[in-house]
Amino acid sequence: MSPRPRLDHVRRPELLAAAASVIRRRGLEHARVADIAGEAGTSAPSVLYYFASKAELLTEALTSAEERFYEDLALELDQIESARDRMLRIVATCAGEGDYDAALWMELWARALRDPELEVTRAELDGRWRRTIAEVVRYGQERGEFGPADPAEFAVLLASLLDGLSVQIALRDKEVTPDRVRELALKLAERELGCELLEGARL
Amino acid sequence: MTGAAASERGARERILAAAVERIARDGIDGVRIARIAMAAGVSTSLVHYHFETREALLEQALEYSYELAGDVRLGAGEGDALESVQRLAAMIDQFLPYPGLLERDWILWVELWLRAVRHPEMRSTAARLYARMRDWFAEAIATGVARGELDAKNADPERIADRLLALADGYGVRVLFGDLDIEHARREIWAALAHDLGLPANPPPPLDQANPRD
Repeated sequence: MSPRPRLDHVRRPELLAAAASVIRRRGLEHARVADIAGEAGTSAPSVLYYFASKAELLTEALTSAEERFYEDLALELDQIESARDRMLRIVATCAGEGDYDAALWMELWARALRDPELEVTRAELDGRWRRTIAEVVRYGQERGEFGPADPAEFAVLLASLLDGLSVQIALRDKEVTPDRVRELALKLAERELGCELLEGARL
Repeated sequence: MTGAAASERGARERILAAAVERIARDGIDGVRIARIAMAAGVSTSLVHYHFETREALLEQALEYSYELAGDVRLGAGEGDALESVQRLAAMIDQFLPYPGLLERDWILWVELWLRAVRHPEMRSTAARLYARMRDWFAEAIATGVARGELDAKNADPERIADRLLALADGYGVRVLFGDLDIEHARREIWAALAHDLGLPANPPPPLDQANPRD
Protein backbone atom coordinates (compact mmCIF):
# COMPACT_ATOMS: atom_id res chain seq x y z
CA MET A 1 0.00 0.00 0.00
CA SER A 2 1.25 3.45 -0.84
CA PRO A 3 2.07 5.77 2.02
CA ARG A 4 -0.62 8.27 2.89
CA PRO A 5 -0.08 11.66 1.26
CA ARG A 6 1.35 14.48 3.30
CA LEU A 7 -1.93 16.34 3.05
CA ASP A 8 -3.41 13.73 5.38
CA HIS A 9 -3.63 16.07 8.34
CA VAL A 10 -5.52 18.60 6.26
CA ARG A 11 -7.96 16.24 4.60
CA ARG A 12 -9.08 14.32 7.65
CA PRO A 13 -10.42 17.31 9.61
CA GLU A 14 -12.07 18.62 6.46
CA LEU A 15 -13.77 15.31 5.83
CA LEU A 16 -14.84 15.06 9.47
CA ALA A 17 -16.39 18.50 9.30
CA ALA A 18 -18.19 17.53 6.08
CA ALA A 19 -19.41 14.33 7.70
CA ALA A 20 -20.65 16.23 10.77
CA SER A 21 -22.60 18.58 8.56
CA VAL A 22 -24.19 15.71 6.61
CA ILE A 23 -25.09 13.92 9.87
CA ARG A 24 -26.64 17.11 11.17
CA ARG A 25 -28.77 17.40 8.04
CA ARG A 26 -29.70 13.82 7.27
CA GLY A 27 -29.04 11.91 10.47
CA LEU A 28 -26.40 9.28 10.95
CA GLU A 29 -28.47 6.49 9.49
CA HIS A 30 -28.91 8.26 6.18
CA ALA A 31 -25.49 9.86 5.89
CA ARG A 32 -23.99 8.46 2.67
CA VAL A 33 -20.33 8.55 1.77
CA ALA A 34 -21.29 10.13 -1.57
CA ASP A 35 -22.97 13.05 0.28
CA ILE A 36 -19.94 13.55 2.48
CA ALA A 37 -17.65 13.49 -0.55
CA GLY A 38 -19.88 16.02 -2.31
CA GLU A 39 -19.86 18.27 0.75
CA ALA A 40 -16.05 18.13 0.88
CA GLY A 41 -15.67 18.54 -2.89
CA THR A 42 -14.07 15.16 -3.45
CA SER A 43 -15.02 11.64 -4.47
CA ALA A 44 -16.33 8.73 -2.44
CA PRO A 45 -13.24 6.54 -3.03
CA SER A 46 -10.96 9.31 -1.83
CA VAL A 47 -13.08 9.72 1.33
CA LEU A 48 -12.67 6.03 2.03
CA TYR A 49 -8.95 6.36 1.43
CA TYR A 50 -8.67 8.38 4.62
CA PHE A 51 -10.96 6.27 6.77
CA ALA A 52 -10.95 2.52 7.18
CA SER A 53 -14.73 2.37 6.92
CA LYS A 54 -17.83 4.49 6.73
CA ALA A 55 -18.55 3.54 10.35
CA GLU A 56 -15.16 4.85 11.46
CA LEU A 57 -15.72 8.13 9.63
CA LEU A 58 -19.16 8.66 11.12
CA THR A 59 -18.13 7.74 14.66
CA GLU A 60 -15.14 10.03 14.51
CA ALA A 61 -17.20 12.86 13.03
CA LEU A 62 -19.71 12.51 15.84
CA THR A 63 -17.11 12.61 18.60
CA SER A 64 -14.67 15.10 17.09
CA ALA A 65 -17.33 17.82 16.96
CA GLU A 66 -17.99 17.30 20.67
CA GLU A 67 -14.30 17.19 21.47
CA ARG A 68 -13.70 20.43 19.65
CA PHE A 69 -16.55 22.02 21.57
CA TYR A 70 -14.93 21.14 24.91
CA GLU A 71 -11.48 22.23 23.77
CA ASP A 72 -12.75 25.59 22.54
CA LEU A 73 -14.79 26.09 25.69
CA ALA A 74 -11.81 25.30 27.94
CA LEU A 75 -9.64 27.82 26.08
CA GLU A 76 -12.33 30.42 26.27
CA LEU A 77 -12.94 29.89 29.99
CA ASP A 78 -9.23 30.32 30.66
CA GLN A 79 -9.42 33.83 29.23
CA ILE A 80 -12.20 34.84 31.61
CA GLU A 81 -11.09 36.32 34.91
CA SER A 82 -14.02 35.96 37.27
CA ALA A 83 -15.62 32.64 38.20
CA ARG A 84 -19.03 34.24 37.97
CA ASP A 85 -18.45 35.15 34.30
CA ARG A 86 -17.11 31.67 33.63
CA MET A 87 -20.31 30.20 35.03
CA LEU A 88 -22.39 32.57 32.89
CA ARG A 89 -20.43 31.39 29.84
CA ILE A 90 -21.12 27.74 30.63
CA VAL A 91 -24.83 28.39 30.93
CA ALA A 92 -24.78 30.43 27.71
CA THR A 93 -23.37 27.49 25.71
CA CYS A 94 -26.65 25.66 26.24
CA ALA A 95 -28.99 28.59 25.94
CA GLY A 96 -29.20 28.72 22.17
CA GLU A 97 -25.99 30.58 21.41
CA GLY A 98 -25.57 28.33 18.42
CA ASP A 99 -22.24 26.78 19.34
CA TYR A 100 -23.71 23.82 21.14
CA ASP A 101 -24.68 21.18 18.67
CA ALA A 102 -27.69 19.43 20.13
CA ALA A 103 -28.41 17.34 17.02
CA LEU A 104 -24.99 15.70 17.05
CA TRP A 105 -25.09 15.35 20.82
CA MET A 106 -28.36 13.44 20.57
CA GLU A 107 -27.05 11.19 17.79
CA LEU A 108 -24.15 10.30 20.02
CA TRP A 109 -26.26 9.62 23.09
CA ALA A 110 -28.93 7.68 21.22
CA ARG A 111 -26.34 5.54 19.35
CA ALA A 112 -24.40 4.94 22.54
CA LEU A 113 -27.41 3.09 23.97
CA ARG A 114 -26.69 0.30 21.50
CA ASP A 115 -23.03 0.67 20.68
CA PRO A 116 -20.59 -0.20 23.50
CA GLU A 117 -17.65 1.57 21.83
CA LEU A 118 -19.59 4.78 21.37
CA GLU A 119 -20.80 4.43 24.95
CA VAL A 120 -17.17 4.61 26.15
CA THR A 121 -16.71 7.82 24.16
CA ARG A 122 -20.00 9.26 25.37
CA ALA A 123 -19.08 8.59 29.00
CA GLU A 124 -15.67 10.23 28.50
CA LEU A 125 -17.19 13.32 26.91
CA ASP A 126 -19.84 13.61 29.61
CA GLY A 127 -17.11 13.28 32.23
CA ARG A 128 -15.30 16.12 30.55
CA TRP A 129 -18.38 18.33 30.57
CA ARG A 130 -18.91 17.67 34.27
CA ARG A 131 -15.25 18.27 35.09
CA THR A 132 -15.36 21.58 33.22
CA ILE A 133 -18.24 22.71 35.43
CA ALA A 134 -16.66 21.35 38.64
CA GLU A 135 -13.40 23.18 37.87
CA VAL A 136 -15.22 26.49 37.53
CA VAL A 137 -16.85 25.83 40.91
CA ARG A 138 -13.47 25.10 42.54
CA TYR A 139 -11.97 28.16 40.90
CA GLY A 140 -14.82 30.29 42.28
CA GLN A 141 -14.41 28.79 45.73
CA GLU A 142 -10.67 29.52 45.71
CA ARG A 143 -11.39 33.11 44.78
CA GLY A 144 -14.07 33.37 47.44
CA GLU A 145 -16.78 34.02 44.86
CA PHE A 146 -18.75 30.81 45.47
CA GLY A 147 -19.93 29.21 48.69
CA PRO A 148 -19.22 25.70 49.90
CA ALA A 149 -21.02 23.42 47.40
CA ASP A 150 -19.69 19.99 46.44
CA PRO A 151 -18.17 20.73 42.99
CA ALA A 152 -18.80 17.24 41.57
CA GLU A 153 -22.40 17.09 42.82
CA PHE A 154 -23.10 20.56 41.53
CA ALA A 155 -21.61 19.59 38.17
CA VAL A 156 -24.04 16.67 37.78
CA LEU A 157 -26.93 18.88 38.84
CA LEU A 158 -26.14 21.71 36.42
CA ALA A 159 -25.17 19.37 33.56
CA SER A 160 -28.43 17.46 33.99
CA LEU A 161 -30.51 20.61 34.05
CA LEU A 162 -28.74 22.10 31.02
CA ASP A 163 -28.95 18.87 29.05
CA GLY A 164 -32.64 18.53 29.80
CA LEU A 165 -33.27 22.13 28.81
CA SER A 166 -31.13 21.78 25.67
CA VAL A 167 -33.32 18.90 24.57
CA GLN A 168 -36.39 21.06 24.86
CA ILE A 169 -34.72 23.92 23.00
CA ALA A 170 -33.61 21.54 20.26
CA LEU A 171 -37.17 20.27 19.96
CA ARG A 172 -38.25 23.91 19.57
CA ASP A 173 -40.53 23.68 22.56
CA LYS A 174 -42.29 27.04 22.59
CA GLU A 175 -42.44 27.09 26.37
CA VAL A 176 -38.69 26.79 26.75
CA THR A 177 -36.93 29.82 25.31
CA PRO A 178 -33.20 30.57 25.62
CA ASP A 179 -34.06 33.34 28.11
CA ARG A 180 -36.01 30.95 30.25
CA VAL A 181 -33.16 28.44 30.12
CA ARG A 182 -30.69 31.04 31.39
CA GLU A 183 -33.02 32.13 34.13
CA LEU A 184 -33.77 28.58 35.33
CA ALA A 185 -30.12 27.54 35.25
CA LEU A 186 -28.76 30.70 36.86
CA LYS A 187 -31.35 30.66 39.65
CA LEU A 188 -30.41 27.10 40.48
CA ALA A 189 -26.70 27.96 40.38
CA GLU A 190 -27.22 31.05 42.55
CA ARG A 191 -28.91 29.00 45.22
CA GLU A 192 -26.40 26.16 45.18
CA LEU A 193 -23.31 28.33 45.00
CA GLY A 194 -24.56 31.08 47.29
CA CYS A 195 -23.62 33.82 44.89
CA GLU A 196 -25.37 36.34 42.75
CA LEU A 197 -25.47 35.45 39.03
CA LEU A 198 -28.65 36.79 37.49
CA GLU A 199 -28.31 40.47 38.37
CA GLY A 200 -26.71 42.43 35.55
CA ALA A 201 -25.92 39.28 33.59
CA ARG A 202 -26.21 39.86 29.87
CA LEU A 203 -29.41 37.91 29.33
CA MET B 1 -68.12 -3.35 17.35
CA THR B 2 -68.16 -5.89 14.56
CA GLY B 3 -65.90 -8.90 14.68
CA ALA B 4 -63.81 -7.54 11.82
CA ALA B 5 -63.34 -4.17 13.51
CA ALA B 6 -62.41 -5.85 16.79
CA SER B 7 -59.83 -8.04 15.12
CA GLU B 8 -58.40 -5.06 13.27
CA ARG B 9 -58.03 -3.22 16.55
CA GLY B 10 -56.42 -6.31 18.04
CA ALA B 11 -53.92 -6.47 15.19
CA ARG B 12 -53.08 -2.79 15.59
CA GLU B 13 -52.42 -3.27 19.29
CA ARG B 14 -50.26 -6.31 18.68
CA ILE B 15 -48.26 -4.33 16.13
CA LEU B 16 -47.79 -1.48 18.62
CA ALA B 17 -46.75 -3.81 21.42
CA ALA B 18 -44.23 -5.48 19.11
CA ALA B 19 -43.05 -2.09 17.82
CA VAL B 20 -42.35 -0.81 21.33
CA GLU B 21 -40.23 -3.89 22.07
CA ARG B 22 -38.31 -3.80 18.81
CA ILE B 23 -37.72 -0.04 18.74
CA ALA B 24 -36.40 -0.16 22.30
CA ARG B 25 -34.02 -2.93 21.24
CA ASP B 26 -32.93 -1.85 17.75
CA GLY B 27 -33.66 1.87 17.62
CA ILE B 28 -36.13 3.51 15.27
CA ASP B 29 -33.58 3.63 12.43
CA GLY B 30 -32.46 0.06 12.87
CA VAL B 31 -35.82 -1.57 13.46
CA ARG B 32 -37.07 -3.83 10.68
CA ILE B 33 -40.72 -3.71 9.81
CA ALA B 34 -40.64 -7.40 8.92
CA ARG B 35 -39.46 -8.21 12.47
CA ILE B 36 -42.32 -6.24 13.99
CA ALA B 37 -44.79 -7.96 11.67
CA MET B 38 -43.43 -11.37 12.62
CA ALA B 39 -43.57 -10.62 16.36
CA ALA B 40 -47.13 -9.34 15.99
CA GLY B 41 -48.17 -12.30 13.86
CA VAL B 42 -49.34 -10.14 10.96
CA SER B 43 -48.14 -9.46 7.43
CA THR B 44 -45.60 -6.76 6.63
CA SER B 45 -48.16 -5.07 4.42
CA LEU B 46 -50.58 -4.77 7.34
CA VAL B 47 -47.89 -2.93 9.34
CA HIS B 48 -47.38 -0.57 6.40
CA TYR B 49 -51.14 -0.17 6.11
CA HIS B 50 -51.46 0.99 9.73
CA PHE B 51 -48.26 3.02 9.81
CA GLU B 52 -47.19 4.65 6.60
CA THR B 53 -43.89 5.98 7.89
CA ARG B 54 -41.35 5.18 10.59
CA GLU B 55 -42.24 8.47 12.23
CA ALA B 56 -45.89 7.43 12.46
CA LEU B 57 -44.87 4.11 13.97
CA LEU B 58 -42.60 5.74 16.55
CA GLU B 59 -45.23 8.31 17.43
CA GLN B 60 -47.91 5.69 17.95
CA ALA B 61 -45.55 3.41 19.84
CA LEU B 62 -44.69 6.25 22.20
CA GLU B 63 -48.33 7.13 22.74
CA TYR B 64 -49.14 3.48 23.33
CA SER B 65 -46.26 3.03 25.72
CA TYR B 66 -47.20 6.15 27.67
CA GLU B 67 -50.83 5.14 27.87
CA LEU B 68 -49.72 1.86 29.38
CA ALA B 69 -47.73 3.84 31.91
CA GLY B 70 -51.20 4.67 32.99
CA ASP B 71 -52.96 6.28 35.84
CA VAL B 72 -50.23 7.72 37.96
CA ARG B 73 -48.39 9.35 35.06
CA LEU B 74 -51.50 10.72 33.46
CA GLY B 75 -52.75 12.15 36.72
CA ALA B 76 -55.93 10.12 37.07
CA GLY B 77 -57.98 9.87 40.24
CA GLU B 78 -55.53 7.73 42.15
CA GLY B 79 -52.90 10.48 42.18
CA ASP B 80 -55.29 13.15 43.41
CA ALA B 81 -56.08 11.17 46.54
CA LEU B 82 -52.45 11.20 47.69
CA GLU B 83 -51.03 13.79 49.98
CA SER B 84 -48.98 16.24 47.87
CA VAL B 85 -45.54 15.27 49.15
CA GLN B 86 -46.20 11.61 48.39
CA ARG B 87 -47.79 12.47 45.08
CA LEU B 88 -44.80 14.52 43.90
CA ALA B 89 -42.44 11.72 44.88
CA ALA B 90 -44.58 9.22 42.97
CA MET B 91 -44.58 11.53 39.95
CA ILE B 92 -40.79 11.88 40.01
CA ASP B 93 -40.56 8.09 40.15
CA GLN B 94 -42.64 7.89 36.99
CA PHE B 95 -40.01 9.99 35.21
CA LEU B 96 -37.02 7.86 36.16
CA PRO B 97 -35.84 4.79 34.23
CA TYR B 98 -36.62 2.09 36.78
CA PRO B 99 -35.77 -1.33 35.35
CA GLY B 100 -38.58 -2.76 33.25
CA LEU B 101 -41.29 -0.77 31.55
CA LEU B 102 -40.03 2.64 32.60
CA GLU B 103 -36.56 1.86 31.31
CA ARG B 104 -38.03 0.80 28.00
CA ASP B 105 -40.11 4.00 27.83
CA TRP B 106 -36.92 5.90 28.42
CA ILE B 107 -35.18 4.35 25.46
CA LEU B 108 -38.13 5.32 23.27
CA TRP B 109 -37.94 8.79 24.75
CA VAL B 110 -34.32 9.21 23.62
CA GLU B 111 -35.34 7.95 20.17
CA LEU B 112 -38.02 10.63 20.13
CA TRP B 113 -35.45 13.35 20.86
CA LEU B 114 -33.28 12.18 18.03
CA ARG B 115 -36.11 11.83 15.57
CA ALA B 116 -37.74 15.14 16.45
CA VAL B 117 -34.55 17.10 16.00
CA ARG B 118 -34.18 15.86 12.44
CA HIS B 119 -37.83 15.57 11.48
CA PRO B 120 -39.77 18.76 12.17
CA GLU B 121 -43.04 16.88 11.71
CA MET B 122 -42.22 14.89 14.85
CA ARG B 123 -41.82 18.01 16.94
CA SER B 124 -45.51 18.45 17.52
CA THR B 125 -45.58 14.96 19.05
CA ALA B 126 -42.67 15.82 21.31
CA ALA B 127 -44.23 19.17 22.20
CA ARG B 128 -47.51 17.47 23.05
CA LEU B 129 -45.87 14.90 25.31
CA TYR B 130 -43.80 17.55 27.08
CA ALA B 131 -46.80 19.85 27.47
CA ARG B 132 -48.82 17.01 28.96
CA MET B 133 -46.13 16.31 31.55
CA ARG B 134 -45.59 19.99 32.31
CA ASP B 135 -49.33 20.52 32.85
CA TRP B 136 -49.54 17.42 34.99
CA PHE B 137 -46.80 18.69 37.28
CA ALA B 138 -47.96 22.27 37.36
CA GLU B 139 -51.45 21.07 38.22
CA ALA B 140 -50.18 18.86 41.06
CA ILE B 141 -48.20 21.78 42.46
CA ALA B 142 -51.15 24.17 42.19
CA THR B 143 -53.43 21.62 43.89
CA GLY B 144 -50.88 21.12 46.68
CA VAL B 145 -50.64 24.87 47.22
CA ALA B 146 -54.44 25.23 47.26
CA ARG B 147 -54.71 22.49 49.87
CA GLY B 148 -52.01 24.14 51.96
CA GLU B 149 -49.73 21.11 51.60
CA LEU B 150 -47.10 22.90 49.54
CA ASP B 151 -45.63 26.36 49.80
CA ALA B 152 -44.72 27.63 46.33
CA LYS B 153 -43.86 31.04 47.81
CA ASN B 154 -43.81 33.31 44.80
CA ALA B 155 -42.59 30.71 42.34
CA ASP B 156 -44.62 29.99 39.25
CA PRO B 157 -45.71 26.31 39.18
CA GLU B 158 -44.99 26.24 35.42
CA ARG B 159 -41.37 27.23 35.95
CA ILE B 160 -40.94 24.70 38.71
CA ALA B 161 -42.39 22.11 36.33
CA ASP B 162 -39.96 23.16 33.58
CA ARG B 163 -37.02 22.74 35.89
CA LEU B 164 -38.30 19.40 37.09
CA LEU B 165 -38.78 18.02 33.58
CA ALA B 166 -35.31 19.16 32.55
CA LEU B 167 -33.71 17.61 35.62
CA ALA B 168 -35.67 14.39 35.09
CA ASP B 169 -34.39 14.21 31.49
CA GLY B 170 -30.81 15.07 32.38
CA TYR B 171 -30.55 12.76 35.40
CA GLY B 172 -32.73 10.08 33.82
CA VAL B 173 -30.56 9.68 30.75
CA ARG B 174 -27.46 9.35 32.96
CA VAL B 175 -29.20 6.70 35.06
CA LEU B 176 -30.10 4.91 31.84
CA PHE B 177 -26.40 4.79 30.95
CA GLY B 178 -25.42 3.69 34.43
CA ASP B 179 -23.46 6.90 35.20
CA LEU B 180 -25.58 7.44 38.32
CA ASP B 181 -27.75 5.22 40.45
CA ILE B 182 -31.44 5.88 40.50
CA GLU B 183 -31.62 6.67 44.23
CA HIS B 184 -29.02 9.38 43.78
CA ALA B 185 -30.99 10.93 40.89
CA ARG B 186 -34.22 10.74 42.89
CA ARG B 187 -32.64 12.46 45.90
CA GLU B 188 -31.06 15.24 43.85
CA ILE B 189 -34.19 16.02 41.85
CA TRP B 190 -36.14 16.09 45.09
CA ALA B 191 -33.61 18.41 46.74
CA ALA B 192 -33.82 20.84 43.80
CA LEU B 193 -37.60 20.89 44.21
CA ALA B 194 -37.69 20.91 48.02
CA HIS B 195 -36.42 24.45 48.33
CA ASP B 196 -39.08 25.93 46.06
CA LEU B 197 -42.02 24.07 47.52
CA GLY B 198 -41.24 23.93 51.21
CA LEU B 199 -40.81 20.16 51.06
CA PRO B 200 -39.00 17.97 53.59
CA ALA B 201 -35.29 17.65 52.72
CA ASN B 202 -35.56 13.98 51.78
CA PRO B 203 -38.16 12.32 49.55
CA PRO B 204 -40.57 9.77 51.04
CA PRO B 205 -39.81 6.17 50.03
CA PRO B 206 -41.26 5.02 46.68
CA LEU B 207 -44.92 3.97 46.89
CA ASP B 208 -44.01 0.46 45.93
CA GLN B 209 -40.54 0.08 47.33
CA ALA B 210 -39.61 -2.72 44.96
CA ASN B 211 -40.67 -1.02 41.78
CA PRO B 212 -43.28 1.61 41.14
CA ARG B 213 -44.78 0.00 38.12
CA ASP B 214 -44.15 -3.58 37.29
